Amino acid sequence: MLRVALRGIRAHLVRFLLSLLAVALGVAFVAGTFSLRTMMSSTFSGIVDAAAPADAYLRPPGGGAFTAEGGTGSTGTVPRALAAEVAEVDGVAHAIPEVQGAIVLVGADGTAVQSTQAPSMAFPYVTEDPAIEVVEGRGPSAPDEVALETATLASSGFAIGDATQVVVGGQVTDVEIVGRVDMGGPMAGATIVLVEPETGYALFAPDGGVGDIAVYAQDGTTAEQLVDRLGALTSADVEAVTGQELRDENKAAIDEMLGFVTTFLLVFAAIALFVGAFIISNTFAMSVRQRMREFALLRAVGASPAQVFTSILVQAAAVGLIGSALGVAGGLGLVVGLKAVLGAVGMDLAGSIPVDAATVVVSLVVGTVVSVLAAAVPARRAALVPPVEAMRDEVTVPERSIRVRAVAGLVLTGLGAAGVAAATLNSGPDTMDAALGAGAAAVLLGVLMLAPGMARGVLGVLAWPFVRAIRPVGRLARGNVVRNPRRTASTAGALMIGMALVGAVSVIAVSAQQSVAGVVESQTNADLVLRSATFDIPKGAITDVAALSEVGRSDVFAAAALPVTLDGDDAAGTPYVAGVADDLFDRTIEAETVDGDLASLADGEAVVQESAAEEYGWAVGDTLVVTGPRGPQDLTVGAVFSTNVLGAAVVVRTEVLDGLVPPEQQLVDTLMVSAADGVAVADLKNAVAEAVSPYVVVSVLTQEEFVSQLADQVNQVLVILYALLGLSVVIAVLGIVNTLALSVIERTREIGLLRAVGLGRLQLAGTVVIESVLTAVFGTVVGLVVGVSLAATLPTVYADDGLSELVIPWGSLGAMLALAVVVGVLAALWPATRAARMRVLDAVSYE
Amino acid sequence: MRALAGVDVDFGRGELTAIMGPSGSGKSTLMHCMAGLDRSDAGSVVVDGLEVSGMRERQLTRLRRDRLGFVFQAFNLVPTLTALENITLPLDIARRPVDRAHLDAVVQAVGLADRLDHKPTELSGGQQQRVACARALVSRPAVVFADEPTGNLDSTSSGEVLGFLRRSVDDLGQSVVMVTHDPTAASYAHRVLFLADGRLVGEVTDPTPDSVLAALTALRPAPAPAGAVG
Repeated sequence: MLRVALRGIRAHLVRFLLSLLAVALGVAFVAGTFSLRTMMSSTFSGIVDAAAPADAYLRPPGGGAFTAEGGTGSTGTVPRALAAEVAEVDGVAHAIPEVQGAIVLVGADGTAVQSTQAPSMAFPYVTEDPAIEVVEGRGPSAPDEVALETATLASSGFAIGDATQVVVGGQVTDVEIVGRVDMGGPMAGATIVLVEPETGYALFAPDGGVGDIAVYAQDGTTAEQLVDRLGALTSADVEAVTGQELRDENKAAIDEMLGFVTTFLLVFAAIALFVGAFIISNTFAMSVRQRMREFALLRAVGASPAQVFTSILVQAAAVGLIGSALGVAGGLGLVVGLKAVLGAVGMDLAGSIPVDAATVVVSLVVGTVVSVLAAAVPARRAALVPPVEAMRDEVTVPERSIRVRAVAGLVLTGLGAAGVAAATLNSGPDTMDAALGAGAAAVLLGVLMLAPGMARGVLGVLAWPFVRAIRPVGRLARGNVVRNPRRTASTAGALMIGMALVGAVSVIAVSAQQSVAGVVESQTNADLVLRSATFDIPKGAITDVAALSEVGRSDVFAAAALPVTLDGDDAAGTPYVAGVADDLFDRTIEAETVDGDLASLADGEAVVQESAAEEYGWAVGDTLVVTGPRGPQDLTVGAVFSTNVLGAAVVVRTEVLDGLVPPEQQLVDTLMVSAADGVAVADLKNAVAEAVSPYVVVSVLTQEEFVSQLADQVNQVLVILYALLGLSVVIAVLGIVNTLALSVIERTREIGLLRAVGLGRLQLAGTVVIESVLTAVFGTVVGLVVGVSLAATLPTVYADDGLSELVIPWGSLGAMLALAVVVGVLAALWPATRAARMRVLDAVSYE
Repeated sequence: MRALAGVDVDFGRGELTAIMGPSGSGKSTLMHCMAGLDRSDAGSVVVDGLEVSGMRERQLTRLRRDRLGFVFQAFNLVPTLTALENITLPLDIARRPVDRAHLDAVVQAVGLADRLDHKPTELSGGQQQRVACARALVSRPAVVFADEPTGNLDSTSSGEVLGFLRRSVDDLGQSVVMVTHDPTAASYAHRVLFLADGRLVGEVTDPTPDSVLAALTALRPAPAPAGAVG
């Protein structure tokens, strides 16, 4: 029987190649996802190890965890002077106070050296620090000297000895590049500048408090011994940990961050595999149906049902295994390509593509098991064919009723819709996010199950214009797509899922754009918005702008992420606390007062965002304990407000924030500027743009430009989603090609008959094309309806979070529909050609 | 190896002609050549005054659509269309208007007036073949080719289908060429031609089942079991 099974694969090679492709695609995504994750994880682990190479650390209790922003979120510090005492401890080789800060390096092209979202950081260059190795030139030894990390030097376009400028501590400084250093690993695109130590400590540790003290042991002293001996120097504000502990903490934090990305990618891999399984089971169902007589013959000559069943499963396993192997190779290829692309945009990932056994085994097993499972149902049917069927001309396979599936789908859709409705009606609490997510997933899955039941009705409507316009081809095509609704629905499944996602996301994106635009226009009175590519506007730029005669008013939005505790409660969050001018709410921003009085801001009280107040349970009159590097402060909540212009949860007057956080450590992400009386906005813009040009990273935007910049950010998200849609379109095209090619083979006789009674080749090809287009449009229409209706509920749920308007992008939806037609035509090309080339005589003559 | 050699035959208008012969005698090939489904290497086929042998695929399609009708042994109907839609299919393909009176006459003749809205799967084998006959006749073709039209039917249904084909010749003035291995079926014809090894070997006019059987027996050196022909 094994020989019969394997010969069968060889005899029906084209058919099996299509299944092979389906498996390979599904598995490629799984393998690619896993190895991408491994690669990212190992890259970041490398960075973590490079960033914390010491044997032990003294740090603020529980703090000092790796933060991508460069330590601005740190809540406490260690006195720098402690390093001298540490150095005296027995077994300590070096004790290095570590601190870092934001810096802007002006590159050879006059713009800031920065890649994508990676941070730009400065460190003091401490000669004895074993983590820093000068590989060329020398370390900086004067305030106007810097050394650059290898990758940074390469992307800056400079050579050692060149002069440039940096913006650090809010000032533009002329510097000379004196050396190139290595930090012990790839830095994933971060821009790293080393400055002369005393300059660095003065800038980043003005109070004498550093982030941590890295302690290196002498030979023969273990990290544990070191921590024991350092115990004498610890206090309530300083703790000692081994380097390994710190690195483990940091890695855990990174894995958590990457966990989201992995989940996201795995969801797509699962969808790809799910759709791949559709295609695989479709392929086997059809190939089994065509070979029913062969199986009946095998049964007639004495094969048992179990043997027939096994022979089909053996074929499926062979296809699954080979397809998975191809898929693993394809997935790794995908990652190689992705790495090259990321490398090209400056995101330097770890050198080798990880081919770990786990990825390969999981991918092979998943692909093979899915294939075998997908083939099991048709195989069972084939095994139960009575041998007498072999004698008959036409072997009929009873179609299972789609009623069970339709009922299950209906129940699932109903439950999902109920979940979504519940979330819509009780907007607000976090638990509703889960209800919404689960509800949406249930609706999508339910509709997928319902699709065969809906196919007849929906396709009838969609086919109507074809039936009317193109006689008799339209009617023939309609007949073919509704003949087997289950098959049509499965074939359209990939597009359904992809289009549901795209439909939902484009509605959300456009609604978000519109909401933001509405907010910016109605809630701010400023003429210009200044932002920084490094998310921190240099202090010098702020003073320079404020000094301009054209400027009537400038508002600084300085912020820091600080632990905020409701008095008497110990559950702390670290939301952003913003410091603003006392009269901000009267002049520049129009906020809705929910409770209390916004004027209390001037009295030193805190005013809080409505969404944060709900989340943390704050109310007017409560006392919040806010802890900054300069110590804790009690603040009374004076008012609750609602606006979408300010991102910060807690707003205090500038003086209060300064009392919590030294101004050097505050981030200024936005500066709003209004013109003085009689100054035109265009003149104001010119003056401000000239004033900030030395600072390189500051962009000056009018309200309209600001809105369109926000829109661009949304569009970037859309580009990623369209790329993923592209994948689902590829799978969909292959699925449709697969189904059509097989159904053309299956309908050989019918096609012969049609040709015999006079159907022309073009008419026949037209029938196949219309079938294909109908299938693609069916998937697209159902998917878009599901996606758009799910997304349409969001503005009700998230109205408080700024998504206030519902906009349905009819243009994009129309484009998607047009895309579906193109997909349909493309997918039909090969099967239609095959059908048209079929010889009439072969088709009508019976053996 | 040649399927046909030196076959020179004319089929008269307004006649039901049957072609008989043992398996491999070339009777199907002869019909496929005449119908433009197969090509002859040499010689010529003329249908309704048109030279078929040299036609291109497009011309053949037009020929089949406008001048020929077909009835096959099985798979005669498109499963997704109703009986009526199947009958008018050739007209739909040619985008020709349906002649209601002629359609009604044909439908009446095959006795299917009450089954027109049914799908093929809801019809019996005999009914399906009658629908196929109606389809072959509705476009008033120059000639109808019937390839074992009763091969899958019981004797009652066979009688109905063959009676209808004969009436279509006698009453409607059609021309029918039928390939069969069944002497009873052949006896419905005006004329029976006998083929063996690709050659025309005999002819019987105004046949009866007995005269056909006698002619068949005469073709063979020794009588073969009845099931061996086909």
